[in-house]
Amino acid sequence: MSRAVVWLRPVFAAIAIALSGAMPAVAADRCATDALDRNVCLPAPARRVVSLSPGATELLYSAGAGDAVVAASAWSDYPPPARDLPRVGDANRLDLEAIVAARPDLIVAWTDGNSRSQLERLSDLGLTVFWLTPRTFDDIARAVVDLGQLTGHDALARDRANRFLAGLAALRDRYRNARPVRVFYQIWDEPLMTVNRDELISKSLALCGAVNVFADADRLVPRVSRESVLLARPEAILTAAPETDAERALAAWRAFPDLPAVAHDNLLVLPPDRLQRPTLRMLDGARDLCLRLEAARGRL
Amino acid sequence: MAVSDLLRPLLLLAALSLLALLASVSLGSADLSLGQTLQVLVGGGSDLDRTLILDLRLPRSLSAFATGGLLAVAGALMQVLLRNPLADPYVLGLSGGAAVGALLAMLAGAAGVLVSGSAFAGALLSTFLVFGLARATGAWTPARLLLTGVVIAAGWGAVMTLILATAPGRRLPGMLYWLMGDLSQSGRPWPALSVLVVACALLLPLGRTLNVLARGTAQAAVLGVAVRPLEWLVYLTASALTAVAVTTAGTVGFVGLIVPHMLRLALGSDQRLILPACALAGGTLLVVADMLARTVVAPEQLPVGVITALIGVPAFLFLLARSR
Repeated sequence: MSRAVVWLRPVFAAIAIALSGAMPAVAADRCATDALDRNVCLPAPARRVVSLSPGATELLYSAGAGDAVVAASAWSDYPPPARDLPRVGDANRLDLEAIVAARPDLIVAWTDGNSRSQLERLSDLGLTVFWLTPRTFDDIARAVVDLGQLTGHDALARDRANRFLAGLAALRDRYRNARPVRVFYQIWDEPLMTVNRDELISKSLALCGAVNVFADADRLVPRVSRESVLLARPEAILTAAPETDAERALAAWRAFPDLPAVAHDNLLVLPPDRLQRPTLRMLDGARDLCLRLEAARGRL
Repeated sequence: MAVSDLLRPLLLLAALSLLALLASVSLGSADLSLGQTLQVLVGGGSDLDRTLILDLRLPRSLSAFATGGLLAVAGALMQVLLRNPLADPYVLGLSGGAAVGALLAMLAGAAGVLVSGSAFAGALLSTFLVFGLARATGAWTPARLLLTGVVIAAGWGAVMTLILATAPGRRLPGMLYWLMGDLSQSGRPWPALSVLVVACALLLPLGRTLNVLARGTAQAAVLGVAVRPLEWLVYLTASALTAVAVTTAGTVGFVGLIVPHMLRLALGSDQRLILPACALAGGTLLVVADMLARTVVAPEQLPVGVITALIGVPAFLFLLARSR
């Protein structure tokens, strides 16, 4: 090889990179990094997708890939067309056979419910699995972008993800200087469970200028005693429950009339799902939450 | 007893096993006809059919067979060893040790081989703990072994409850399903199957000696049986079989208790017959139970332990009532 050619090599490389950038269609592989830090690549946009959790189903529809979803796990109830999808078992206990029979070119799994071992069996059969673990708002937006990328709806997915993040940023700005409201968020009543600062619900509370009284707990979903809630003196107590259960959900706290939350009539019941599922609907849930908290703030 | 008397029930059970296995590979949530299944089994069929049957249903059915067989043989051995009708493969705390191993692995976020490896280690630890403690006390009797095992089991139970109570919510479902017994991730049936075959081959020549042991240690000693070594051999064999079963499918309950009793009620208590019959009948029961667990409410999947109990309880009560 002549000297000149060796010297020119970086130039060729630069030209090659510039060309590949100019012609994205040449780079056929569609890649994204999943929650297990694996780079998942598809030779073409996925046309047959199986979703293994209600959250994953919702994110796929948000990414514009609703038409490509051919089957989903039980309880995939949003958006409404998802209710009619063929089922492949419960997220915790999948029917591997039904998944294989759906002949998917992409399987979207959820680390918080799906069994890693079951999914390893599917990988062994040569199926492509993409894992999701949305723990932050950015993760949610990222998941939508990734799913859009893998299913060939890049622009739409990116647009929706950006709108989601912009909406959250607007809330954050709006309540930045609001008077902090001390909140106890009740996940479950028997045993009494709440969330710490790392859980998305707690992050939504923070957006609205509220302070989670158990933000510093060690565990993501700590079990707490009634006593420790009374000591924390929350100014509002929140929970999510269906309308039929709304009356009963927080009734037990009325036994403590001196508790600021009870004294100021700040026992708030929110509609379920929108805050508890890490999907784009969290923005609506957060907006609703902020309005309810703003009203509670007014009663203090 | 003539050889043909031993063989006839075994041949019948073997035929039943094959029938159950065939039913299990032809039934599932994906609709395949018996013709399609047979086509795949003789080497034809479409790619999808081959994947469904050869990669999913067959390994799972064989794992179920091996697990059921191992548990039933282990249960029969424990009942001979402890001369206690309530004995089952888990009575001496082995399942607790395995469960603690598996749950700890899941708590650390492990999956697959790490969980089953950890379960196996837990089972062995528990076995040797009970072995060591019962032996260290000197005057050894099956009653002492039973008490040691039961207390160790209670200890494991407490540790399991502690792990479940403090585990993060998202790890709980996997843990609970493991504890209920789960065959859905059993991809490699061959280790368990070969252990079952080897164990049966090794135990058969011991059948006559075990028959003597089942009548009591004093009689056995008078008849020239080296009681103590034999008892340890039986204990360690039963433990090894159970450990392999638990590693394959989690703690599937009930098979190890009920199958040996059912066979004794139906066939008498000759260990030369009971032990191989247990391998076949236990395997068949679990294959059928797993098939039902996969299909009755498909695509939802039921824990196999529920089905073994639902089939086993009425069948057992019927045999008990008939036998007086």
